[in-house]
Amino acid sequence: MANKDTIIEIIYRALRNLNEELEDEKRIALSPETKLFGPNATLDSLSLVSVIVDVETAVSDEYGRNISLTDDTAMTQAVSPFSDVTTLADYIVRQLGQG
Amino acid sequence: MLRHWLTTSSGSSGRVERSLSVGMYEGKNVIVTGSSRGIGALLTRHFLDEGATVVGIARGPANCEHQRYLHHQADLAVPAEIQQLFVGLRKTVQTIDIVINSAAVLTSQYALIMPAAAAQSMLNLNLLAPFLVAREAAKLMRKAKSGRIINISSMAVSLEPEGDSVYAACKAGLTTLSNILAKEFAAFNVTCNTLGITAIETDMLKQLPHDKIDAVVARLPIPRYATADDIVNVIDFYASERSGYITAQTIYLGGVH
Repeated sequence: MANKDTIIEIIYRALRNLNEELEDEKRIALSPETKLFGPNATLDSLSLVSVIVDVETAVSDEYGRNISLTDDTAMTQAVSPFSDVTTLADYIVRQLGQG
Repeated sequence: MLRHWLTTSSGSSGRVERSLSVGMYEGKNVIVTGSSRGIGALLTRHFLDEGATVVGIARGPANCEHQRYLHHQADLAVPAEIQQLFVGLRKTVQTIDIVINSAAVLTSQYALIMPAAAAQSMLNLNLLAPFLVAREAAKLMRKAKSGRIINISSMAVSLEPEGDSVYAACKAGLTTLSNILAKEFAAFNVTCNTLGITAIETDMLKQLPHDKIDAVVARLPIPRYATADDIVNVIDFYASERSGYITAQTIYLGGVH
């Protein structure tokens, strides 16, 4: 069973990887409320792709499960998984909990 | 082989030349799909001869023995097998420098009698698989901020031979795929190019009537079969570290365009 705190750390790791590429003033804050997508999000589309790839890869490596964060299931959630770090972690925990 | 000639003085006999061979792909990790046969086997041998470690992917068992050859048996027509393959590669080779998408299947048949399953197989292996292999490899390449993806296409795109409707359409799609991936991957210095080959003696070509191929070859601007060196020459150009500014390009052999 995936632990939410572990998943949040995976997301933070992806954000840290991204921050290494960004100038100081554009770096993303690491917090459960950090917006990943939407009007108030600080990530551009290419940065979000980078985070998604890192998170999917880390989940696959650490849990042995290939999940897609951009398939129809993710895109049709009432609350977008990418609203913030917490919603993304919750979504991944749910996905890993299913079979 | 790149040959670096060293010239040394040797007493009264004058100068003696010795050669040191340095492979141009020394230290590079290369993925070759369809490594067991045809162009894939040819390029596997080339990269091994030039010092690379080759991750060969084919449906069947390995038919190449070499200490730097790592064989992976997978059906590339099945997306899950490609994903699983890369889960393993992330743990073993960790970095990929060059990808050669050469695995392909050809069913040459009039459209009116082309079985849907044969058409689907061509779509899966000739178009979807190169996309997925390029995508998964690019995830590794973006960390290194460097990479070369080379897709093997065919003169069929230009010549549009009867019977090759789906095959040629897949190969045409491969160029479009390459060009768009080139844009998306440019941000991390990964180039994506296409080589359109003409007829060369391979198992795939043996399926087709030789007289028909001879007639097609006779109408090419340079009317001869391709040689291994014709192919390797362009591959080396695309794969070169100096070719970082060469992307979204398609080169056809033999004057085809």
